[in-house]
Amino acid sequence: MFDDKPRRLTIIRDTGDKVFRGTIRAGGSVVLIIMVLVGSFLAFRASEALGVVGWSFFTEQAWEPDQGKFGIAAVIVGTILIALVAVCVAVPLALSTSLFITEYAPRQLRSFLVSIVDLMAAIPSVVFGLWGFFFFQPFIVPISKWLAQYFGWIPFLAVDGVDPTDPLATTTVYTSSSFIAGIVVGMMVTPIVTSIMREVFSQTPIGEREAALGLGATRWAMIRNVVLPFGQGGIIGGTMLGLGRALGETITVYMIISPVFTIQPHILQNGGNSVAALIALRYGESTPMGLSALMAAGLALFAMTLAVNFGASIVVARSRSGAAS
Amino acid sequence: MNIRNPLIRRIVAGVSLALSSLTVFGSVDAALAVSYVPISGAGSSWSANAIDQWRRNVTQYGMRINYASTGSSDGRNQFKGGTVDYAVSEIPYGLIDNGRKDDLPTRGFAYMPIVAGGTAFMYNITSGGERIANLRLSGDVISKIFTGVITKWNDSAIAKDNPGLTLPDRTIVPVVRSDGSGSTAQFTLWMSKQYGSIWNAYCNKVGRNECGMTSNYPTISGMVAQPNSQGVSGYVAQKANEGTITYVEYSYALKTGFPVAKVLNKAGYYTEPTAQNVAVALLGAKINKTPGDNYLTQDLAGVYNNKDPRTYPLSSYSYMIVPTEAAGSFTADKGKTLAAFSNYFLCQGQNQADVLGYSPLPGNLVEAGLEQVKRIPGAEVADININSCDNPTLDKSYFTSAPMPSECDKLGASQCTDATGGAAGGSSGGTAATGGTTGGTTGTGLTGSSGVGMTGTMGTGPTVCDADTGVCSSVKALPIATEALGWSAMNWVITSVVFIIVLIIVVPPVLVTAAARKRR
Repeated sequence: MFDDKPRRLTIIRDTGDKVFRGTIRAGGSVVLIIMVLVGSFLAFRASEALGVVGWSFFTEQAWEPDQGKFGIAAVIVGTILIALVAVCVAVPLALSTSLFITEYAPRQLRSFLVSIVDLMAAIPSVVFGLWGFFFFQPFIVPISKWLAQYFGWIPFLAVDGVDPTDPLATTTVYTSSSFIAGIVVGMMVTPIVTSIMREVFSQTPIGEREAALGLGATRWAMIRNVVLPFGQGGIIGGTMLGLGRALGETITVYMIISPVFTIQPHILQNGGNSVAALIALRYGESTPMGLSALMAAGLALFAMTLAVNFGASIVVARSRSGAAS
Repeated sequence: MNIRNPLIRRIVAGVSLALSSLTVFGSVDAALAVSYVPISGAGSSWSANAIDQWRRNVTQYGMRINYASTGSSDGRNQFKGGTVDYAVSEIPYGLIDNGRKDDLPTRGFAYMPIVAGGTAFMYNITSGGERIANLRLSGDVISKIFTGVITKWNDSAIAKDNPGLTLPDRTIVPVVRSDGSGSTAQFTLWMSKQYGSIWNAYCNKVGRNECGMTSNYPTISGMVAQPNSQGVSGYVAQKANEGTITYVEYSYALKTGFPVAKVLNKAGYYTEPTAQNVAVALLGAKINKTPGDNYLTQDLAGVYNNKDPRTYPLSSYSYMIVPTEAAGSFTADKGKTLAAFSNYFLCQGQNQADVLGYSPLPGNLVEAGLEQVKRIPGAEVADININSCDNPTLDKSYFTSAPMPSECDKLGASQCTDATGGAAGGSSGGTAATGGTTGGTTGTGLTGSSGVGMTGTMGTGPTVCDADTGVCSSVKALPIATEALGWSAMNWVITSVVFIIVLIIVVPPVLVTAAARKRR
C-alpha cells in the first residue's frame, strides 16, 4: 500500500537566500521600530506637560506653557482648516492633471508632463513659502475680498471687522489667512496626489477600456464608467495621503500665517495657526516646560497624521486597483 | 613616457606645469584657511544686517562665520544649550518675562556690545495715491497704536502730531513679531517704563498676569504677527498692505525703501533714528561697570529721557554673548576665530555702521568690548590701537557737531516735508543716515518717496502745481486706487530666465526618450 500523504516539502535555503530574507525583514521592521520610537519619545517628553493640564489640553485655546495654561483646541482646528483648504485645491487639480496625462495627452507629451509634475515636488517648501508670502499673497487678497463680499453669509467665509462698502477699508484683514496658507500648501501636495492617481489610472485593465469603447462609449464615457470606478481607491487614498502631508506642512505655514491662539473658523480672515508651525515658531525659545508642551502638541499631530494615513492605506488596499498593486 | 609627436609633448608639458602650479597655490590657500575654524552663532535679527555685512567682509581673511538670525530669544536659548558658539541679543539673561525668569547659562559667558541702533517705526500709508513719508508720532500715540487704543490713521491724536498731513480714514494695522524677539523686548521695555499705564492696561486686557518687558508680543484681533525682522518689514513693504506700521531696526526700513516715523523726544523735537541721533541719545545710557554677570549691560532710562534735541528715544545697544571658557563643542580654535572676528567688527567694522543703518559704538564701549574679547579662550593677543580704528565717534566733534533738528521738526504747528528712512535717499542708505536729506525730491513733501518700494513698480504720484503761483502741493482728494501691478523689463527677464532653466532641465530627458523610441 502506498501512503497517500503528500510528501513534506523541506525548504532548503542557501546562504544568499537567507541573507536576502534577513535584510528585507530587518528593513521592514526598522520602519516599524522607528515609528514606535518616535511615538514613545513624544509621549515620554509630553507626559510632563500633559500631567500639568490633563484633559483641558484638548479644550484650552491659549498657549502660555509657562503659566500652565495651554491646549491644542485652537491650533488643531487651524491645522485641519489649512489642510482642508489645501485638499480642496489639490484634489481637483491633481484629478484633472492625472486624467489628462493618462487619457488625453499625446504620447510624446506624457513623459514631459510627468517630469514637470515631479519637478514641482522637488521645490523646497521654504521656496514655496517665500513665493507665497512675497509674490502670491497680493494676488490672492482680491479673491479673498470678493469671496468675503459676496459669500460672507456662509459662516466660515465671513470676515470680521471690515466694511465692504468702505473704499478705505484695509485689505490686511485678508492677508496671512488660513485660506492663503492652504492654497500654497495645496500647491505643494498636488504632485504626490497626482502621481498616486496617475499610477492607479494607468493600471485600468485594457480589456475593460476596449470593451467600453467597443460598445460605442465616447472617451469621456469610458473614463466615467471604467477608469474612475476602477481608480476610486486611488483617488481616495491619494487625497488622504495629501491630507496627511498638508497636516504636517511646516515652514510654508510658518512664513505665511499670522499666529492666533483662538479658534478662528473664518478661513479668509487674517490669523490662523497650525501645530507644525507652532512648533517651528516656539521650539527654539522654550523653557523645558514649553518644550514639553510642544512635544504634546507634536504627539497629537503625529497621532492624527497616523490615523489619516492608516485610513488611506485601508481604503487603497480594499479597492480593486489597490488590491492589484 | 615616450611621446613622439612634439605638439602633444608640448601640451602635456604645459598641462603638467599648470597642475603643479595649481597644487602650489592650493596649498597656500589651505595654509591660510586652516588658521581659522568656522564658527556659528544665532540670535537677534535686529542686528543681523550689520553682522551679515561684517561676516561677508572677513571671508577675505579666511574666516567662516555663520549666523542665523532667528530672534534674540532663540539665540540666548541656543547659547545656553551649547548648540552655538556665540549669540547676539538685545537683552541680557536673567530678566523676568511674563512671570518667568530667563535663567543664566551654566557655562561662563560675557556680554560684548557690538553695535548701536534705533528701533524704528516703519509704516505704509498713502494718501491721494502718494506715499506719506514724513509722519511724526509722539510716544504715547505710538503706545496707544500698538495697544489697540488708537485704531484709525485719522485719529485726532495722530493729527495733532502731524499738522501738515491729512491722513486717510484707514484702520491702523500694527504688525508685531510672532517669535521671541529682542526688538519686542526693547520696545515693550520702553512702553512699560515711559507709558506704563497704557501698557499695563493692555497687558491686563490680554490676560497676562505680569506686565513689563516681554519678548513675545501679546496680540489682539486686528494685529498681524510675523516671524523675524525680515518678516515684519516684508509684510509692511507689500504694496497692498496699506495702513500697517511695525517696529524694526532702522536698517530694514532703509533696505526696503520705506519711511519711518519721526518720534518725539524729551526736548520737543521729532527725530529720526539716524546714526548721529542714536549716538547722541546713547550718551544718556548707563552702562553697568560692576564686574560680574551683568557687566556692560545697559540701563536706558537716561536715553528715553535725554534732553538733547538731537536724540532718538528708542536707541539701544546690541550685545554679543561670548563664551569665556572652552566647554562642550567650543574649543580654543573656535575662540581664536571668534576673537579675531570680534576684533574686526569692534574696530574697523564700526566705520560701516552708519551706512548700514546702525550707529557706531563710542570709544569707551569699543575699549570695554576689546577687553571682553581677551576673555574668550584661545584669543590671540591683538594690540589694537583704538585710534587707528577709523571709528567716527573717536572724534569728539561727532557728538558736539551732530546736526540739530530743523525747526520744522519741533513740536508745533509746522511740519517738515522731507521724506524719512528708506524713502529718503533712494538706493543709498548713506544719505538718509547723514540727517535725512531727501534725494531727488522737489521739496513737495509727500512725493519723492514713491518708486523706491520693494516692487519697484510704483510711479511718482501726481503732484499738482499751481500755474500762477508755482506752488506745488499734493492733491488730497484723489481716489485711493493704486496703480495696477505692472511688469517691468526686469520681471520679464527673470521670468524668461526661469523658463529657460526649466526647459533645460525638462527637454533633454524628453528628447532622449523620443530618440530611444525612434531607434526601436
